[in-house]
Amino acid sequence: MTGTEAEPLLELAGVRAGYGAIEVLHGVDLALRPGSLLALLGPNGGGKSTTMRVCAGLHPATGGELRLAGRKVNGISAQDAAKLGVCSIPEGRGVFPNLTVRENLWAATGTGARLADLEEKAYGRFPILGKRRDQLAGSMSGGEQQMLALSRALGTDPAVLLLDELSMGLAPMIVTRMYDTVAGLVEEGLSVLVAEQFARAVLPIADTAALMLNGRVVATGAPAEIEGRMAGDYLGG
Amino acid sequence: MPLLETRDITVRFGGNTAVDGVGLTMDEGQITGLIGPNGAGKTTMFNTITGLQKPASGQVLLDGADITGLSPAKRARRGMARTFQRLELFLSLSVRDNVRVAGDVLRKGSRKQLDEATDAVLERTGLTDIAGRDVSDVPIGRARVVEVARALMTSPRVLLLDEPASGQTERETEAFAEMLTGLAAEGLAICLVEHDLPLVMRLCSAIHVLDYGELIASGTPREIRESPKVIAAYIGTEEAAS
Amino acid sequence: MTTFLTYTILGLVLGAVYSIAASGLVLTYNTSGIFNFAHGAQAMFGTFLYWQFQQWGWPVWLALVAVIGVVGPAMGAALHAVIMKGLRGTADVTKIIVTVSVLLGTVYLAQWVWDPDQARTVDMFFGTGAKVSLGGVEVRYHEIVCLVAAVAIAAGLRVLFTRTRAGVVMRGSVDDPDLLRLNGHDPERAAMLSWALGSTLAVTAGVLIVPISGGALDANHLTLLVIDAFAAAMFGRLRSIPRTFAGAMVLGLAANYVLAYLPSAGTFTGNLRVSLPMIILFVVLVVLPQDRLRGAAVRTRERYRPPTVRSAAVWGAVLVAGVYLYSLLLSDAGVTTLALGMTFAIIALSLTVLTGYAGELNLAPLAFGAVATVVAFHFGVQGSGLAARLNVQGVLLAVVAAALAGGLVALPALRLRGLYLALATLAFGEFLSNMVLRDTTEHELLGMRFTLFPDGSLVVPPLKAGPLDLRNGTSSLMTATVLFALIGIGLAALRGSGYGRRLAAMKDSPAATAMLGQNLVRLKLSVFMISAAIAGLGGVLMASASGTVSQENFTFVGSLGLLMLVVVAGIGYISGALVGGLMAGAGSAVLVATFNDLALAHEGMANVYTLLGHLVLVLTALVGMGVGRNPSGFVHDIADGYRRMRDGARPVLYGGGAVGAVLYVLAVTGVIGAWTFGIAALCVAMFLPLAGDMYRAEGRVRRTPPELAGVDEPYTDELRTELDRALGLPAAHRPARLAPALRGEANAPA
Repeated sequence: MTGTEAEPLLELAGVRAGYGAIEVLHGVDLALRPGSLLALLGPNGGGKSTTMRVCAGLHPATGGELRLAGRKVNGISAQDAAKLGVCSIPEGRGVFPNLTVRENLWAATGTGARLADLEEKAYGRFPILGKRRDQLAGSMSGGEQQMLALSRALGTDPAVLLLDELSMGLAPMIVTRMYDTVAGLVEEGLSVLVAEQFARAVLPIADTAALMLNGRVVATGAPAEIEGRMAGDYLGG
Repeated sequence: MPLLETRDITVRFGGNTAVDGVGLTMDEGQITGLIGPNGAGKTTMFNTITGLQKPASGQVLLDGADITGLSPAKRARRGMARTFQRLELFLSLSVRDNVRVAGDVLRKGSRKQLDEATDAVLERTGLTDIAGRDVSDVPIGRARVVEVARALMTSPRVLLLDEPASGQTERETEAFAEMLTGLAAEGLAICLVEHDLPLVMRLCSAIHVLDYGELIASGTPREIRESPKVIAAYIGTEEAAS
Repeated sequence: MTTFLTYTILGLVLGAVYSIAASGLVLTYNTSGIFNFAHGAQAMFGTFLYWQFQQWGWPVWLALVAVIGVVGPAMGAALHAVIMKGLRGTADVTKIIVTVSVLLGTVYLAQWVWDPDQARTVDMFFGTGAKVSLGGVEVRYHEIVCLVAAVAIAAGLRVLFTRTRAGVVMRGSVDDPDLLRLNGHDPERAAMLSWALGSTLAVTAGVLIVPISGGALDANHLTLLVIDAFAAAMFGRLRSIPRTFAGAMVLGLAANYVLAYLPSAGTFTGNLRVSLPMIILFVVLVVLPQDRLRGAAVRTRERYRPPTVRSAAVWGAVLVAGVYLYSLLLSDAGVTTLALGMTFAIIALSLTVLTGYAGELNLAPLAFGAVATVVAFHFGVQGSGLAARLNVQGVLLAVVAAALAGGLVALPALRLRGLYLALATLAFGEFLSNMVLRDTTEHELLGMRFTLFPDGSLVVPPLKAGPLDLRNGTSSLMTATVLFALIGIGLAALRGSGYGRRLAAMKDSPAATAMLGQNLVRLKLSVFMISAAIAGLGGVLMASASGTVSQENFTFVGSLGLLMLVVVAGIGYISGALVGGLMAGAGSAVLVATFNDLALAHEGMANVYTLLGHLVLVLTALVGMGVGRNPSGFVHDIADGYRRMRDGARPVLYGGGAVGAVLYVLAVTGVIGAWTFGIAALCVAMFLPLAGDMYRAEGRVRRTPPELAGVDEPYTDELRTELDRALGLPAAHRPARLAPALRGEANAPA
C-alpha cells in the first residue's frame, strides 16, 4: 500500500464476519485497484468464500469497513451492490438450473442491462450458448454453465467482478479458457477479485495476490512472491 | 479381499456427472485417505457408500457381499458408520445421549451394558468432561469428535470420516490422530476425507485421489506425493500442461 | 349418452375451478417453500366480500373487479409482508402451524363479520337460467365462464413464467434466491408477487365454485371446498402446473361420474362424492416415489427441556390436587366443562409425543378420537337408558382401533417428508367426517346389520370400571385428570428412555439416525400409533364427558384449533398439552360463553361483549401466527421465568403464592366467582415471572453500579466488557471476547 497508486475500487479494512457465535474473518484487509486482477488464495476453510460473500453483500460484516470506490457500504444488500456494478459469480455454478440459457440472461437484466446486449455478447463470446439458448441451464455441462455465469459479467458492464472458485469441478482445459476470458476483461479495464484454491490456475494472469489463512490475509504482494510462500501450505512438503 | 470395495460407481445429478466410474478399496486395520479438490465428488462417494445416494451404476461391496440395494439403516447394521462434513448432531440431546442413542438403536445388551459402553466410548474419545453438556454448546472441534464417538458406539467395521479435523485446534487434531491410529490398530477400516493433507499423508497407508469425479491416483502417500497428476490437480493446470 | 356428456361437462367445470385454486397453491409453495393451508380460507374470505359488495348494491362486475383485482392481491401481499416473509429458515412444522393459524383466524373473522346462522347465496354469473344447448346438453353461461377462466389462467400463467421477466425472476427465486440478489433482484418482491397472485387465484376459485356447488355460502364449507384442490396439486408433486391441471380435471370428472353412476339411495354416494378428493389425495400419496433421506433441514430454534419422571410425578400430583380444590368452587356445569377440557388435554398429549418428541404432524387428532368413539359405542356399551355404561373392554378396544387406524393412515406417508404425513392425516380427517360420521344408513356385512352413525349423533354413556362409576361430573373430571397425569408421567418416562432418545434423534437428523441403523419408517409408524392411541382414549373420554357427540365434535377445524393452541402453549411440554388442551376444550368455550352471558345480562354493553367474545378467538389465531417467532411456546418462557425466580427472586415467588391463596379463599367464600378466580389465578401465574424479572433487574442494579465493578468482586472479562460498553470504549480494546471465537475459527461453512 504505497498510496501512490489509484484509489482502490473495492476495499476491505479490518473486516470481521462470522456465523452465529463463531467468527470466521478476523480483520481482513484487501484492496482491489481499478483495472487489475487480485487473486485471493489459500486453502479451504481459510475464509475466502466468506470474504467473497461479504464483498457481494450476501453476508454482513460485523466489524471493519467495506468500501466501494472509497465509500463505506457496510450492510449493503446484494441487490444494491449488484446495481452499483458489483458482479458476483458465486461458488459452484452461478446459474439458475431450471431456467433456460436465455432466461438466465434475462434474469441478469436486474441491474439495468438490456437482454439483447447480454445475448449478443454471450453468444458472441461463447457460440455454444447461442446454440443452447432454449436449453435448461441445469442440463448443460459444467463448463457450459460456467460460461453462462461468466456471460453475466460480459453483458452487464460491471465495475467489479467477483469470482469464487471458478475452477471448481471443471476440467483444466476449460479452466484455462475461462481465465483467458477473464484476463481479456481485465485488459478492457474491469477490476476482478478472484478467490481460488488452485493458485496456478489464476496466478499467471493476476496483478496482485493475497494469501488467506485462518480468517486473515497473511501476505499480499506480487504473484510470484506469494506463490513461493504457499508451497508449504498445500501438499505438506 | 478388501473389507469395503466400490466398483465402477457413477453418480449423476441432472446433466452433471459427479462421480464417474470410481473404484475404491478399504482394508481392515488400515486408514485409507480419500482426497481431492473441492467438488471432486468425495462426499458424493461417501453418500453412495452409505446408501444416502443412489448410484446411476456400479456396486458397493462389504466383505464381498453386494450391498448396493440396501438401505442406509441396513448398511449400518452390517457395520458401516460415518460422520458428516456438515455436522449432523442431535441438537436436542446432550453429548452423552448423542452417543448413547446409537446404543439404543441397536440394543446389543442390557441397559447397564449400554451405559457402560457409552462411558467407555466417551472415555476413549476424551469427551467425559463434557458428557453432560448440551451438544449445541460444544465448540466445533469437539463436536466433530462427538460425531466420531457416536459412530464408534455402533461398533462399526468400517468408519467413514468426512473432514473430521476441520475446525479442530492443532492440539485437538493431535489427539484425534492418535485416536484414529489406535482404532485402526484394533482392526477398524477407516476412510478419511480431509483437507489437512499433512495429516492425511501422516496417517494413511493408502490414498485415493479424486478429481472432477474421476479417480486419478491410488497408492501410498509417497507415490501420491510424487504423482504429477496429483500435483497438477492440486496446484493447478499450468504444470500439467507443461 | 346425454347423461354422460352432461356429467362430463359438469366434471370439467368443477375440474376447471379446482385447477385455478390448485395452481395458486403450487405457485406460492414454489416461490416461498410454504404450503399454504390457508389457501381455502383466503378464497372464502374473498368470496364473502364479493357477496358483501353486492349487498351494498354494487353491480356484479364491479364487485368482481374489486375482489379479484384488489382484495385478492392485497390479501396475498399483506400476508407475505406481515407473516410469511418471517418464516424463511423455520422448521416445516412451524410453517404449517402458522398457515393453519391464518386459516383459523380468517374463518373466525368471517364468522364474526358474517353471522353463520344467516343464509347467504352467491348466484351464477348471468343467472341460472342463462344457458346454451350443445349437442343436447345444456350448459350454463357460468359454467362456460369457469372453463374459459381456467383455460385463460393456464395460458396466462404460461405466458407469465416464460414470456415475462417478472415470471422468469419468480422461477429463479425457486432455484436460488441468493443468486437472484446477485443479479440485482429482490427475491422478496418475487415472493410477494407470487403470494398476491396465489391469493387472487384462490379468490377467483372461491367466487366460481360456490354457485356450482349449490350456491350456499358457508365459511367452513367453502374453506374445505378449496382445500379439495390440494389433491390436484399433489398430482404435480406440488411442482408442475400442467400436471396440476390434469389432476384437477381427473378430480372434477371423478366426482361427477360418482354422482352419475353410483346408486343414489342412502347417504353413501353423496358422502363419497364429497370425500372423493381426499380419497384421491390419499391414493396419490401412496404412489408418490420415496423422498431422499436428509439431514437436518434447518437448525431449529425450538428448545425443550425434558422433565425427569420424578418431577413429572410431583407435578402430576400437584395437578390432581389443584384440579380437585378448584372443582370445589365450580358448579356442576362448570365441572363438566372442565372435565371436557381435561379430555382435550389428553388428546393434546397425543400431539406432544408425535410433534414435540418426534417432529411429525397430525392435523386431525380428533378424527382418531372419533374412530375410537364409534368403536366404543358399538362394542362397549352395556345396559340401556340411564343405566347404560361404557365398559373398560370397549374403551381398550377403541384405543386399539384408533392405533390401528393411525398406522394405516400414516403408513403410505412415512416414506415421505413431514408435510405429506400432515396431508395424509388431513385427508383422513376429512374422509372420516364425511364418510363415517355422516353415515346414517344401515349396512349389512357378514350377516351383521349395523349403522355407523345412527341419527347423525351418538349417545355415549359414562364409563364404569369396577367400583369406579363416572356418572357424576366430579368423578369424571378427576378420572380424566388422573389419566392425564399418568399419561404425562408415562410420556416423561418415554422421553427419557432409549425410545425417546431415538425419537429426538430422528427429529433432529433423519439421515444421521438412519446411519446408526435405525429403520425410520418403523420408528415413525410406532410413534404415530402411540399418538393415535392416546388421541383415541381422549376422544372416548371426551365423548363420554359430553354425553352426546355428532360430526360437529370431530371437525377438521376443531382439530386444527387444538393443534394450534398446543403449539402456541408449547408442543414439547406436557404442561403445554395441558394448557393448550384446556384452552381448546374449555377455555375459549368458557370465555365466549362468559362474554355472551354478559352481553345478555347487560344489554347496553352487548355489542362490546359480543365483540370481545369474537376477539378472543381471532386473537388466539393471531398468537398462532406469531409462533414463527417463538417456536418453543409460551409455557417454555414462563417455566424459564420461574426457574430464574427460584434463583434470584424468591420473595416474588412467595408473594405470588400468597396472592393465589387469598384469591382461593375469596372464591371459596363466594366473594368472587369460580371462573373469575380461574382467570385471575392464571394471570398471576403467567405474569409472576415478569414481576420476578423486574425484581431481579432492580437487585442487579443495586448490586454493582459500573463505577464499583470489580471493587469487591473478581474482575472478570465479562465485567470488563460491560464496563467498556458503559464507558463507550471501542470494541477493538476487548480482545478477550474473541477467545471463544478463535477456537472455532476454521469452521467457515464452505
